[in-house]
Amino acid sequence: MIRIFPSLRFTSLLSAAKPLCSVACSSSPVREPPQRASFAEAKSAPASNSLSITPKSPLFLRTPSHATPLSEVWKWHDWAKDLASSVEVSSSNSEYSLDSAILLRELKWLIEDSIVDDQLVIHKREIANDSESVKLRASLEELYDLWRQRIEKRRPFQYVVGCEHWRDLVLCVEEGVLIPRPETELIVDMVEELVTRDDWFKNGVWADLGTGSGAIAIGVAKVLGGRGRVIATDLSPVAIAVAGNNVQRYSLQGMIEVREGSWFEPLKDVEGKLVGLVSNPPYIPSDDIPGLQAEVGRHEPKLALDGGIDGTDSLIQLCHGASRMLKRGGFFAFETNGEKQSKMIVDYMTSDHQNSFSDLKIVSDFAGIGRFVTGFRL
Amino acid sequence: MSSFIIKRSRSRSLLLWQTHGIRIRSILFSSYNSLSNPSDSTDSVSASGFSSFSTRSFKTTAFGFKFSHLNQKFGDLAYSGGSNLVSTTRSLSSEAVAVAATCDGLTVERIIANQWPILDENESDWKSHAAAISQSIQVIKRRLQWKKLLVRLKVLSAELNKPDLWNDPTHAGKISREHGSLAGKMKGVMTFERELLEHIDMLKLAKEENDSELESETLKALMEMRRVSKEKELEALLSAENDSCSCYIEVQAGAGGTESNDWASMVMEMYKTWAQRRKFSVTVVDEMPGEMAGIKRATIKVNGEYAYGYAKAEVGVHRLVRISPFDSGKRRHTSFAAVAVIPILGDGSTRVQINDSDLRIERFRSGGAGGQHANTTDSAVRIIHVPTGITATCQNERSQHMNKASAMAVLQSRLDQLEMARQTAMNAQHTQSLTEISWGNQIRTYVLHPYRMVKDLRTNYEVSDPDSVLEGDLDGFILSFLSSSLDKGDEER
Repeated sequence: MIRIFPSLRFTSLLSAAKPLCSVACSSSPVREPPQRASFAEAKSAPASNSLSITPKSPLFLRTPSHATPLSEVWKWHDWAKDLASSVEVSSSNSEYSLDSAILLRELKWLIEDSIVDDQLVIHKREIANDSESVKLRASLEELYDLWRQRIEKRRPFQYVVGCEHWRDLVLCVEEGVLIPRPETELIVDMVEELVTRDDWFKNGVWADLGTGSGAIAIGVAKVLGGRGRVIATDLSPVAIAVAGNNVQRYSLQGMIEVREGSWFEPLKDVEGKLVGLVSNPPYIPSDDIPGLQAEVGRHEPKLALDGGIDGTDSLIQLCHGASRMLKRGGFFAFETNGEKQSKMIVDYMTSDHQNSFSDLKIVSDFAGIGRFVTGFRL
Repeated sequence: MSSFIIKRSRSRSLLLWQTHGIRIRSILFSSYNSLSNPSDSTDSVSASGFSSFSTRSFKTTAFGFKFSHLNQKFGDLAYSGGSNLVSTTRSLSSEAVAVAATCDGLTVERIIANQWPILDENESDWKSHAAAISQSIQVIKRRLQWKKLLVRLKVLSAELNKPDLWNDPTHAGKISREHGSLAGKMKGVMTFERELLEHIDMLKLAKEENDSELESETLKALMEMRRVSKEKELEALLSAENDSCSCYIEVQAGAGGTESNDWASMVMEMYKTWAQRRKFSVTVVDEMPGEMAGIKRATIKVNGEYAYGYAKAEVGVHRLVRISPFDSGKRRHTSFAAVAVIPILGDGSTRVQINDSDLRIERFRSGGAGGQHANTTDSAVRIIHVPTGITATCQNERSQHMNKASAMAVLQSRLDQLEMARQTAMNAQHTQSLTEISWGNQIRTYVLHPYRMVKDLRTNYEVSDPDSVLEGDLDGFILSFLSSSLDKGDEER
């Protein structure tokens, strides 16, 4: 329930922005340029381009300007509940199908994000008065539309409400930016543990490559406690805009610098100077992309998912960069596709970069999957 | 502490002195008289079973000691009082043991023994007020378990006097905190008691001197005390160690599938609305839905002062009798739901230290490749405390990090509770967690058919409108249970 509104000025600016463009984004899978060939070769977009992108305003930050009769809200709520409860019957593929228990919880959160007054009103019909009205942050029509998109188009809930709760942060997300995963929170936990143990890491420069929404960069900046610096890079202009926005919402402009470009390209000035390097690069093998869960495959950016034939294209690049960019003693943590990929990366680092790294480790996520490779620059 | 008491009684006396200077002298005289009357003082002492030694010291502190310069006659008394005071505050609990009395030896005990009729509050009869207030004081003492408090205070004072106490600062801190809180609690009651008797003194004086203004003022003060005493009675219901804490309420459905899952969710709803009515904040921590309807089990966090004190009265098995809407044959069903209540200890209390290495953290519903492959808003985690096997789950937060934090808080409270149960044999039934509640421990029955009634099996308190109860109107049940469990079977007279 922690919600932080760091910058009021910015909030009001955002709330003036037009509502989520729903139809265009969700009626068809997000069109992505066939990008995955090589990120290093891809040209970084001119700076003016990314500046022109205005991040969308998430539901919970919009102005509650839609006074709506309670009875109408209840009607919508009943409809939404019925729709959520009916999904299990209709879908067939069990692993990636919708789950009504989860949908009902999402509905609760959708209400939490869209009703200003005590959201309990929605559950307390007996107590509330029929003629009352509530202030909504979106029109009822839009709420109907949003919920339909969630269920019929399988639009990820986080895009529907425009935010993702991640660690103790609320990050704005939108189409074109990968929704940060719960597993990835552990990267920040590892950094936190490291910097509490050793102050050296607190004062240096960190880099988060392929930052997307800026999640890891913001998480790391917060555990550094105001002393170090983080440079967050991304190739995607949308990600740059969204990450910049999130950094600003947490008033971390002084600590985090968002730079547009491919992997280490924008980091030439800090070569050999990083104390830490973290990344959640695209790691899904190309062949797996078509079979992905609808929410992921149809809506999230392939740029952030597709890791080449065996999924390690970007990870290999990161390994190279790590030996070049890190200071002696510097730390790195990369997320991978799981046990198999983690082992490949560890093998690669021990054989091809024999004398570069020490303490190479595979760290499991909470599901017990060997999700991360970590180590130190010798 | 002793200096504090002296200061207090001084300011009190001085105040009296300033306003009613002349009268004080006469009170002092009569107080001296009553003290010098041996039969009177031993009487009041034996009646309550306290040592005459400390009684005397109390009286002298209150009246004689401060005014020793006034009259040579008080010299002896004042000195002995002074030395007594020092020894008593050191060895035991100066005040706690003393019995307050009026100048003519009237005590709360005696007022009750007199059986003065208690009239309506608006009747300006001082005896009626005094009798009502005295009864309240008696109820309050009983609810606070006065005798146990006295014993405990003695133990604590003895502990505090040990020269090596501060060799173990944590222990010392705990002891002195408990001592302070007990002494404070007792002092509140004793002050109240003394106030009553002082008012009575004042009233008698006013009558003697035909000061009608003073008389009516004092009567008014007595009436106010009578009102306050009722509030204090209620407060005394919630005076156990962790009563003021927030808490978790857990409900678990009994066997019987959908009907009993539905009952469990009705019970949970009942607590949610009850808590909201009491202006507590409610958050769902964990909820395992039933297959068709209702819940198999759920945990809510109830935040607010005295949430635990009230909710602990609900621990046990709740039984429902109705025609099940899930039974096409329209038969009558009996189902059960078990309720557990866990206090969330404040920062001041000692909490169990949890070692990270003792924990295993799992994603609650894992499966599939995870990571970038999956987009789910479900980030529930389960934390297992390996040495005890105790687990906690949270799935209602919007991030894994918060789910983990929330589950850790539940785990902490469960471990604290386990530790509490281990350390003290205090009130075993409140410290049971769900797994330990025997399904035989039924506390209340809710009948919707063939007749309508809710009845508490512990107190026989009953209500003929189950709907209101299920909508959270539980205070009647809770207060009747709390008072009956504190008021019954006690030795304090």
